[in-house]
Amino acid sequence: MLKIKDLHVQVGGTEIIKGLTLEIKPGETHAIMGLNGAGKSTLANTIAGRDDYTVTEGTITYQGKNLLDFEPHERVGEGIFLGFQYPVEIPGVSNLNFMRTALNGVRKYNGLEAMTAADFMKLVRAKAKALDMNPDMLKRFVNVGFSGGEKKRNEMLQMALLDPKLAVLDETDSGLDIDALRIVSEGINAQRRDDTSILLITHYQRLLDYVQPDFVHIMIDGKIVKSGGKELAIELEEKGYASVV
Amino acid sequence: MNEQVISGYKSQSLGLHGTIPGADQLREKAFSNFEAQGFPTKKSEDWRYSDMRQFHKQAYGLVDHAAKPELPDMLGETAARFVFINGRYSEDLSDLGDLWQAISIRPLANHFMSNEYRVNELITGTDAVSCLNTAMLRDGLVLSVPAGVEIDDPIEIVHVMSDASNQAAHVRHVVELGEYAAVSVIERFIGDDSAYWTNSVLQARVTEGAKLRHIRVQEDGANAVHTAKSYINLDGGSEYICTNVALGGKMSRFDAEVRILVDGAKAIVNGVALAGSGQSHDMHVHISHIAPHSSSDQVFRTVADSHGKTSFQGKITVAKDAQRTLADQSFKALIFDKTAEANAKPELEILADDVKCSHGATVGQLDDKAIFYLTSRGIDPETARQMLVAAFTAEALEKIEFDDIKEALSGRIATWMLTRTATPKA
Ligand SMILES: Nc1ncnc2c1ncn2[C@@H]1O[C@H](COP(=O)(O)OP(=O)(O)OP(=O)(O)O)[C@@H](O)[C@H]1O
Ligand SMILES: [Mg+2]
Repeated sequence: MLKIKDLHVQVGGTEIIKGLTLEIKPGETHAIMGLNGAGKSTLANTIAGRDDYTVTEGTITYQGKNLLDFEPHERVGEGIFLGFQYPVEIPGVSNLNFMRTALNGVRKYNGLEAMTAADFMKLVRAKAKALDMNPDMLKRFVNVGFSGGEKKRNEMLQMALLDPKLAVLDETDSGLDIDALRIVSEGINAQRRDDTSILLITHYQRLLDYVQPDFVHIMIDGKIVKSGGKELAIELEEKGYASVV
Repeated sequence: MNEQVISGYKSQSLGLHGTIPGADQLREKAFSNFEAQGFPTKKSEDWRYSDMRQFHKQAYGLVDHAAKPELPDMLGETAARFVFINGRYSEDLSDLGDLWQAISIRPLANHFMSNEYRVNELITGTDAVSCLNTAMLRDGLVLSVPAGVEIDDPIEIVHVMSDASNQAAHVRHVVELGEYAAVSVIERFIGDDSAYWTNSVLQARVTEGAKLRHIRVQEDGANAVHTAKSYINLDGGSEYICTNVALGGKMSRFDAEVRILVDGAKAIVNGVALAGSGQSHDMHVHISHIAPHSSSDQVFRTVADSHGKTSFQGKITVAKDAQRTLADQSFKALIFDKTAEANAKPELEILADDVKCSHGATVGQLDDKAIFYLTSRGIDPETARQMLVAAFTAEALEKIEFDDIKEALSGRIATWMLTRTATPKA
């Protein structure tokens, strides 16, 4: 699904990712853990194609294609989804209009006809209900005035609508209460299939109790320094970064 | 001031003597007023952002040919449509609906004939450009709505310019609302690529409890210059709700002069301006709170593309006796790059002590984070920018009470964004 080889990324002239290698196969769920400032969000944003993040060395191959050749919106069309650590507020644009435009953008990219307003409403209501979201939030402006947890749920709603092949979820668990964490985890698990992959970025082992990863990686200073199974996350939680790496 | 320009206009104005009975004296007075002031220059504080150079170089002639240009579709459902071609009223192309049963509408010239004694009070305006409009008085509408009559659908006045390079149309509309009357007027301005000048004035008297909705849609041709003034006088408890949309012309200027004369009136003057490469839109509002307990609100949103320019000067004056005035003003401008320009100059002059006034002005670029967020959901960058501009301008269109017209105008903004992104930008 995704092959990252010796990736170097600069942000504002500073190298943040310093030779990162990672492979995720279809059907796998990986978790990346790491100290604040390690470069986890930088990696996630680079996969999504943020244009002020410059890849200076290395490659990212997605489903056999050079991912760096694709514009951000084309990457979504190809099946990549980024759940933001800090979802952006967009005053004046309604959540519904936003999601419908997004879904139809992806459908158009894949040669499908636009979904009618009625069909879209049916779909979005069902998905929102599964995430236990207040339907009023659909009418509000994108993320404006949403609580931290509501923003994360809104990210999950977008993921459910776009049904990605590769979901990169950047601290989707932070800011969630216990009930919300369970609901969001169910949303993530529903997205796990033989033909899909998930990359979770998290600070807490708690999420990994609900969404069991196949691999756990520890990222420090722009590199993956240690990889293992789920037990690595437990070890981290118990002993801290200093003694594990 | 260039003598040739002045004498050019002088002979034009003299040539119009006798064309409207009773108007000659008014013309003369207005012309000497114009002559004394001359066209404004950048040195005048009120005109510092407007490029008036073309007015100093040559006198625009009066258009003298009738054309049969194609008319635009209506913006929405309307009660009647009045058409002016090259500044002259076209009875053939106008459609009065059954409006004549409810209100009085007639060409300015006819009105003068029967109301000679009122000529002087009828025409207002003291700045040079409005004075020239008066000196060149030829055509316009006088729309009188009797007390208590409410017209639901808007009345559309379409001004079309065609094949009129170096020529001008000076149109004057007069709106009079009886007590508790209500009417909506849409003024539209369109034209071909000729280098013409539209100089339009609308003056209104809104008497007690009456309501005037005013929508202006300026889509003049690419080489046109457009100057316009609205003089509005508000009586007790009356309302004036104006939305000005500036899209066309190479240079446009809109001035709203609103005076709240009696207690409890409400004035809303909003506007959107989109300036493409080489275009400049200048908007001025002066709301004068003379009587107490009144409120005013201004919301302006402008967008300037590369080498485009938008300017806003909003003035609020509150007289000593105008206690308990509420006045708000908000200006926000988007510039697409460093070559785009946005100017803002808010001015408050408050002599009363018990008032609430606020104003804010910001100039910024489209939020990169928002664009990335939208594109990271599969929305292409052009659509993303279009959505953000639509969201940005929406607030200034909010007070348009007709959904079909609001939608048509949002559509114009989307089209503007599409055509701009179609041209490659540095
Ligand atoms: N424009 C910039 N110029 C220089 N450094 C930057 C810039 N933007 C981000 N950084 C730095 O890049 C580093 C990595 O940031 P990143 O957001 O990827 O960390 P993270 O691992 O996601 O951290 P957290 O766990 O706190 O979310 C940080 O030290 C940050 O300060
Ligand atoms: Mg982060």
